[in-house]
Amino acid sequence: MSEVARSILRVALAGNPNAGKTSLFNALTGAHHKVGNYPGVTVEKLEGSRIRNGREYRFIDLPGIYSLTAYSMDEVVARDFILDEKPDLIVDVLDSTNLERNLFLCLQFQELGIPVVGALNMSDEAAAKGIAIDVEALSAVLGIPMVKTVGSRGNGIADLLDCLDSAGNQQAATFNNSHASHSIHYGEEIESRVKPLEAAIAADASFATRFPPRWLAVKLLEKDANAYRRLSSHKNADGVAAQARESVAWIEKHYAKDAEIVISEQRYGYIHGAAKETVTLVRRPTLSPTETIDKVTMNRFLALPIFILVLWGVFKLTFALGAFPQHWLELFFGWLGGAVASVVPEGFLRSLLVNGIIAGVGSVFSFVPLIVILFFLLSVLEDVGYMSRAAFATDKFLHAFGLHGQSVFPMVLGFGCSVPAIMAARTLKSRRDRIVTILVIPFMSCGAKLPVYVLLAGAFFPKNAANMVMLVYAVGVVISLVSAFVLKKTILRGDPTPFVMELPPYRAPTLRGLLWHVWEKTSQYVKKAGTVIMAAAILIWAITAFPIYALSPGEVDSLTTAYKIKNAGADQAALASYMETARAGAALEHSVAGSIGKFIQPVFRPLGFDWKISVATVTGFAAKEVIVSTLGILYRVGTEEDEQSASLREALRADSNFTPLVAFVLMLFVLVIPPCFAALSTIKAELGWRWLGFAFLFMLALGWCLCAAVYQVGMVAGSALHTRAA
Amino acid sequence: MVVSDAPVGASFRVIRITKGKEVGKRLADMGFTEGAEGEVVRSGFLHDPLQVKIRGYDILIRRSEADDIEIAPLGNWPAAETAG
Repeated sequence: MSEVARSILRVALAGNPNAGKTSLFNALTGAHHKVGNYPGVTVEKLEGSRIRNGREYRFIDLPGIYSLTAYSMDEVVARDFILDEKPDLIVDVLDSTNLERNLFLCLQFQELGIPVVGALNMSDEAAAKGIAIDVEALSAVLGIPMVKTVGSRGNGIADLLDCLDSAGNQQAATFNNSHASHSIHYGEEIESRVKPLEAAIAADASFATRFPPRWLAVKLLEKDANAYRRLSSHKNADGVAAQARESVAWIEKHYAKDAEIVISEQRYGYIHGAAKETVTLVRRPTLSPTETIDKVTMNRFLALPIFILVLWGVFKLTFALGAFPQHWLELFFGWLGGAVASVVPEGFLRSLLVNGIIAGVGSVFSFVPLIVILFFLLSVLEDVGYMSRAAFATDKFLHAFGLHGQSVFPMVLGFGCSVPAIMAARTLKSRRDRIVTILVIPFMSCGAKLPVYVLLAGAFFPKNAANMVMLVYAVGVVISLVSAFVLKKTILRGDPTPFVMELPPYRAPTLRGLLWHVWEKTSQYVKKAGTVIMAAAILIWAITAFPIYALSPGEVDSLTTAYKIKNAGADQAALASYMETARAGAALEHSVAGSIGKFIQPVFRPLGFDWKISVATVTGFAAKEVIVSTLGILYRVGTEEDEQSASLREALRADSNFTPLVAFVLMLFVLVIPPCFAALSTIKAELGWRWLGFAFLFMLALGWCLCAAVYQVGMVAGSALHTRAA
Repeated sequence: MVVSDAPVGASFRVIRITKGKEVGKRLADMGFTEGAEGEVVRSGFLHDPLQVKIRGYDILIRRSEADDIEIAPLGNWPAAETAG
């Protein structure tokens, strides 16, 4: 089969993290991108294409990895893609300043039996550091064509494409032959074990067309669980596996080391030999700017304060800058609602359009400015290289609670809004760490919970309002750390994820790269969360609007009379507003939401909640600040009360059921119970239905138990005090 | 002697990784292999994690992982500020 005929080349782009893969991908593909997921996992898959000299190049971006073991999801995804999808070529992006470790991955791709082209990226940085690479000699020694590139500036892209072009033109057979003679040599002892194993695997010819025998032989010697699973379709699977195990035992006896370590050592030995001949340090490196900066930012005593300062800055900037566009969007959707209301006659359709759909879409889009700004700032920190420094500063403390140094950013963002915070947890590489982090983020009180705290603290603890709010925030932090600890000890137990993290030098981010990150994250949010949040907003609207209930003339009369007796001399406007609130209250009380609230009220009795509070917690799923306006309606104060409303505070205090204890328990309840629909749908998008279900039940159970305990203890303590006083 | 015994500023040569499976394999894949030379650059607030230079680049590892890397000292080790 001749490859000359190929008009489409499928090229996988691989490489270490921090090797400049994203900027090279952008330089190669221009603006033609498609974002998706690898099948079955949440690892992002980027595709892009380029047409050149009548040939289409389809680039697939593989996750940034250091090796091809079965330990990390990213590594499994990259390896499965190569084995199962069989791209025509692999471009391995190499950080020229750090060649030995980067070649470690490159040579593993070579073993997979698909032509590899090496992009010696960041070649300008290497030159500045005094590292001279003899490209031709290195290519010849390794049997891998290499090209110097600078992805951030687009240098060397034409050369790289020329190289791909000629690699694609070669007949597959020719390439494979030259490649076979060039694959890595593990030393005589290991080779004496690899070769017989390779032959045993190749004995099943149809199996050998699917999996390169040499690669699989080496993987079996590395005790790779995934390789043993793939072997199961071999004709003589048991025989080969037994031979492999026997060879592993021989190697471990011979070297007195684990076989998987021996293989890595031999690989590095081979690379070191190749590099010694071709890479030279033309002058001694001077103290780099990175080292100078790190003397401050990674100082034992300064690292943590500096991190807190950076975090505070990101937090302040996001919510300060985000407030303006967020307000404009709210104004716009408010105006749109009003405009629609003026055209559509009053009734079901208007209510659905204005209160359901427009309000729902509005709530989705009001988060967008926050996400854009937040991800822009986070991308700056990530591209600059600060994230590893942040992990360095915080890992010791967070590790004690079963979290990871990298959990800190998402968790603190949770004080602003859980939606971007949950998305930010993607920076965590280990799935278990990511799950734990996402599950505890909602306990960091978000901005929407604050109005509820302010209302209740202001009404019931006027002298200590600020302290009460702080207390609830602190309780939230404690709950998140303790839950992380418990989750890591129970359902998410496992070997501790190793904290082995590269500390890249500081690098200037490119605007293009930053904008690309922001666009990618934002469009995903709008697409994934948008549909669910909108559906949820419509659902909440429906259960509060139906069934439609109107006050009977008799009820109107008696309410009017009662109001007039109580407020002698009140004007018509006051009466009208009172009646409007009364109508809204009656409608809500008789709606599905009201019925749910009343139905579940017995469940809430041990917490001291009456039906009004129960209804408010149900509507709170739309957004936590809705609890305040719902209480305003149910306490007949007004339809649009906020947390500063004096009359709402008074009305709450006047309710004999609403004691300071109930208020405190309600604050705790709002803190712990599942977050709003926006956050829930984000959890679903990130972790899937099963973890969403777990998170929901976990928070509900924890909230109920904690609040019931506090209320019951409070009641007993209260009555004891009362008895003593009497 | 293991990496966690080395004071800040100390250079070393790797003798072997004493652990297999995920942690040991990851350390070996990142370049901690027999004969590789490195240096302990600094340590965190409570002497954890460690910043270690290996094969010409910098890496962060926890003290618990540094315990799995057996080393031999290179040159004179500074005695003053120990990482441990």
